[in-house]
Amino acid sequence: MTIITLIKQVPLPNEMRMGDDGLMDRTRAKSIINIDCQFGLEAGLQLKKHYPDARMIVCSMGPGSFEAALKTAVSMGYDEAYLLSDRKLGGSDTYATGLAISTMLKHLGFTKDSKEPFVIFAGRQTSDGDTAHVPSQVAENLGIPQATFCESAKPDGKGNIIAKRIIEGGYQMMQLPVPCLVSLTPTGIPPRKPSLVGAIKARNMAVKVFGVEDIHLGTEKIGLSGSPTIVAAVANIESERPPVVLSEGTTESALVDNLIANMKKCGNVLQHKEVKEKTEKERPDFPVIDTRGDNKHILTWAEIANGQIARPSLELFTPARHLVEQLDNDTKIKTVLIGKNVAPLARTLFEHGADEVILVEDDRLEEYLVLPFADIIAQIIKEQKPEIALFAATTSGRELAPRIAVKTGSGVTADCTGLEIGEYINRKDKKIICPILHSHRPTYGESKLATILGFVYPQISTARAGTFEVPQRVEGRTGAVSKFKPEFVEEDFRAQILETVRGGGGLQNLFEAEIIVSGGRGATSDGLKLVKELAEALKDKGLKAEWAVSRAVVDEGHAEYARQIGQTGKTVRPKVYVAIGISGAIQHLAGMKESGGVVAIDRNPKAAIFRNADFGIVGEYEDLIPELIERVKRGFTFGIEIKNNS
Amino acid sequence: MSDTNTVSTDVLIVGAGPSGLATAIHLADLLKKHDLKRRILLVEKGTAVGSHILSGAVIRVEILKELLPEVDFSEFPLNAKVTKDSILLLGESGSIKSPVHPPYMGNKGNYTASLGQLCRFLAAKAEEKGVEIYPGFAVSEVLYDDKGKIRGAKTIDTGVDHHGKPLENFQPGTEIEARITVFAEGTRGSLVKTVIDRFDLQKGRNPQVYSLGCKEIWSVPEGNIAPGEVYHTMGYPLNLHEFGGGFIYGLNDNRAAVGLVVGLDTADPTFDFHAAFQVWKTHPVAAKILKGGKLLEYGAKTLPEGGYYSMPKPYVDHALIVGDSGGFLIMPALKGVHLAIRSGMLTAETALSAFVKNDFSENTLKEYGTKIDDSNIYKEMYPVRNFRQAFAKGMIPGAFMFGTQLITGGAGLAGKVGVHTDVDATRKLKDFSGKPFKKRFAGKLEFDKILTFDKVTDIFYSGAHHDEEQAVHLHVNNPSTYHLNIEQYDAPCRYFCPAEVYEIHTGRNGHKELRIHAENCAHCKTCDIKEPGSGITWTAPNGGNGPEYQNM
Repeated sequence: MTIITLIKQVPLPNEMRMGDDGLMDRTRAKSIINIDCQFGLEAGLQLKKHYPDARMIVCSMGPGSFEAALKTAVSMGYDEAYLLSDRKLGGSDTYATGLAISTMLKHLGFTKDSKEPFVIFAGRQTSDGDTAHVPSQVAENLGIPQATFCESAKPDGKGNIIAKRIIEGGYQMMQLPVPCLVSLTPTGIPPRKPSLVGAIKARNMAVKVFGVEDIHLGTEKIGLSGSPTIVAAVANIESERPPVVLSEGTTESALVDNLIANMKKCGNVLQHKEVKEKTEKERPDFPVIDTRGDNKHILTWAEIANGQIARPSLELFTPARHLVEQLDNDTKIKTVLIGKNVAPLARTLFEHGADEVILVEDDRLEEYLVLPFADIIAQIIKEQKPEIALFAATTSGRELAPRIAVKTGSGVTADCTGLEIGEYINRKDKKIICPILHSHRPTYGESKLATILGFVYPQISTARAGTFEVPQRVEGRTGAVSKFKPEFVEEDFRAQILETVRGGGGLQNLFEAEIIVSGGRGATSDGLKLVKELAEALKDKGLKAEWAVSRAVVDEGHAEYARQIGQTGKTVRPKVYVAIGISGAIQHLAGMKESGGVVAIDRNPKAAIFRNADFGIVGEYEDLIPELIERVKRGFTFGIEIKNNS
Repeated sequence: MSDTNTVSTDVLIVGAGPSGLATAIHLADLLKKHDLKRRILLVEKGTAVGSHILSGAVIRVEILKELLPEVDFSEFPLNAKVTKDSILLLGESGSIKSPVHPPYMGNKGNYTASLGQLCRFLAAKAEEKGVEIYPGFAVSEVLYDDKGKIRGAKTIDTGVDHHGKPLENFQPGTEIEARITVFAEGTRGSLVKTVIDRFDLQKGRNPQVYSLGCKEIWSVPEGNIAPGEVYHTMGYPLNLHEFGGGFIYGLNDNRAAVGLVVGLDTADPTFDFHAAFQVWKTHPVAAKILKGGKLLEYGAKTLPEGGYYSMPKPYVDHALIVGDSGGFLIMPALKGVHLAIRSGMLTAETALSAFVKNDFSENTLKEYGTKIDDSNIYKEMYPVRNFRQAFAKGMIPGAFMFGTQLITGGAGLAGKVGVHTDVDATRKLKDFSGKPFKKRFAGKLEFDKILTFDKVTDIFYSGAHHDEEQAVHLHVNNPSTYHLNIEQYDAPCRYFCPAEVYEIHTGRNGHKELRIHAENCAHCKTCDIKEPGSGITWTAPNGGNGPEYQNM
């Protein structure tokens, strides 16, 4: 067995060090192995427990300074380290990166048909790119099955890998044949520390560095010029949330008094401010070229969860309709619906905005699987030639889109929060390409908003779940259904789903709640009793209140999946979000950071939640919440007005 | 597992401070000169060399030239040559310049510096000479052979829960086998403490006594202080029973280092060293210099200041003790760096002898003792051997006694003056007759977050961090009797700890209990020294944990 882990070195996120000017000092920011990749490294080391003689390889692509990260991996327990480092790779997008890394792996002898069994581990996504594309694209280029967004990977003793894949509101146990690729979320087993023997080994070993020529990689599809997408603009997103106002006081009662006073004093709420540093250059008088040819219409994919069209897939109709309005009048929204006996769901799609539904039905397609679905959608794209293809940025959409893109040679823009039609002024070739899709996405820990353009059709983007509203349903609206008969590839069914566990959808009222009281691992010593009581007290006052939890709490069995807030749970935006005993893992923040106001209560003043909150109290929740409940009973409503009719 | 998880070296040095690095550098040079090839391995618990280094610092630089004769002096990362050196006696609001400059405090020819920076420089030089330095690894255990002799040390097991139970990501510590182990752990070393106990190295000597220094680095407006300006203060906010003083050093780039160093032999169980430092900053002398400035860094460290009579015997079979771990510090001059380096160099010479003779027993290593007594260390430390003990009786009798010591060459009127441990000085609430700290400084303990800061804010500026999943590194030695410390002393640790690690929480039912916020710990070891009753033991947390000092 060979265990290969792909890692990237990134600047340390949340580097909490102030420079002389009081701003974050980026020059001092240290580099670390991307957090998700660290979990990938650990998953590889965990698998080694079952294969004590496994060959342990760690690979990366980037500048020479990445050797430090590779050596850290060796000090944790890896043996061989390879770095693909070449100036010609500069500016590569995810498509080009996936291609380059898979070419290096092939060069090292790892192909679909290798005699030597191997498993590739990777991080789900990187903190400086946030696309989650590369693992899927490496797997597609190698032609091997994959499981992304996983928490663990264990052998089943029969030569397969059993991976636990986190999906919205639940998880799936997947069985993968070897070779395969598994990408890890930062929620599994935390990365181990280096050992001194490992550090000594790392000091005395050499990282093997390859250039593109060493691995026989042509330069036409890599680097800035070979990549199918470019970053057209980057705007700063400024001070989304002002710094937290922490309560002061020596007793619980004083701390709560102070919180109430602070909340009255400053309406510290979420503000989106996009700072456009536009140095408006004059629009040159170049010829305007429409490069679309016969590519037309917008394709979307309708994901099914619990027998219903998933909410994020309905949200897609909002940006899709907006784009139709900006494009030619006769542009249609065509939605792909894949499954077993799913024809009745077409109605929901029409009523929310689909003009046409492309239906693919087969018994074997009852559950979403990335390999057959990617193949089928790629076949539809080749037939339909859409100019744009949109996917919801769910755990499925985010692995499906990049895998399809490798098949169509397209670029993909991940996790967009804005989609517009615009133009691209190519000053070098003196032409203006119009129309072209401008995909806006936050990046660098949400501090920048990048605009990405793709030049290969279809232009593919995934849209962040929870960002767009579900369009108003138009009862009776209908359209044409066409059936598509795909060519099945037997190999696509090698990976299987053994089990899918989802909390019953339910708890839709979390989406409508004005105030959510959310408990984390640090609020479970009483089995969430106080969290529930606070929510109850707020309800009694006539507020639309609900309680929720973080992922760890669901894992420990204190609450059902349907109440989970976060990347793998629900994305909510109440007026006020009260986080109790929640440390503020990235995956949790993704689910609540759009809340109007955030009140955090935790014993650890350095918990990340305080950097994402408006008001906070540092202390023990067992002491503070009873006090808070009393105040609510006496009329404190976290600044939310009580509507008499409710 | 043990065979794959063991490394062998000729010399293991624990700690990359000035003494450990000097040992490494000088030994590498000596071995080369004698054409010997020996492995020198140095482990350091900070993330990087310098992360856990804090000092004033005004440094006597001659020793650097001696340690690294091939290095051009301008290459040393020093700050500024001392241009102005004053001692100020502070009253509550005014100050007078001391008419006489006490001897041993002169700083002519010395340099202000960041000791952390200097250590990073020394580490790079040591690496060039073939020394292997591994930062980010904490050693948690001394290893003994079957005859009870030191055979090395072991790095801490990581991937364990709060009770030390292995988790899935368990990584066992590495055993480092060494012919000579050099303890350069700094003040109150957690391993060397066990070695001193085991071999009774403090026998016939005074116990070690300490001061606690709290320090901040500020960025100040141009003109507030010039690089190389040095002020030491005596008096306010300390009273005549409390030993200590403040310092203000002008650094380059319009920065100032300020700090207050106070003897840990305070009687008031509620004495708050960090708060005293904040009060000191409000005195016009300090406030004027910091006005308009901005806090950059905060840190705290204890200093072993017992002097000559408090130094443990610094050698046993297969092991040597250097720097602060061995008490190499002269209190009257507030200086230890040059002595630490010297002790490291003498250790290197001793180790060389051991390699030449191939004998690592005390028989050879005792040369270290002779070398110390033949060196400047003795010349500097012996005359002031009774300095600190004198001041244990208070500043006025202390000054008198020290005065007589100056005349008599250090003996004073009584020969060797004994001293009590710092913790013995702590009085129970009912036995403490003075004004309790909070009353004494009533109205001055509200911190404005401009000039003065609460502990939580200050500790943020130390960069301290600790892994969540690990065994708690601070142990109340007898939890079942700790309530006595709360009842009789009001839990001194909550006051003396300069990093807000200890908190007494009062439940809604009035029950009081101690809560430990180990994640804030600045590794100063005060709790290990000063907590009465059965006390608190400080052990090393995971490597790479603790403060993240940049220029302390």
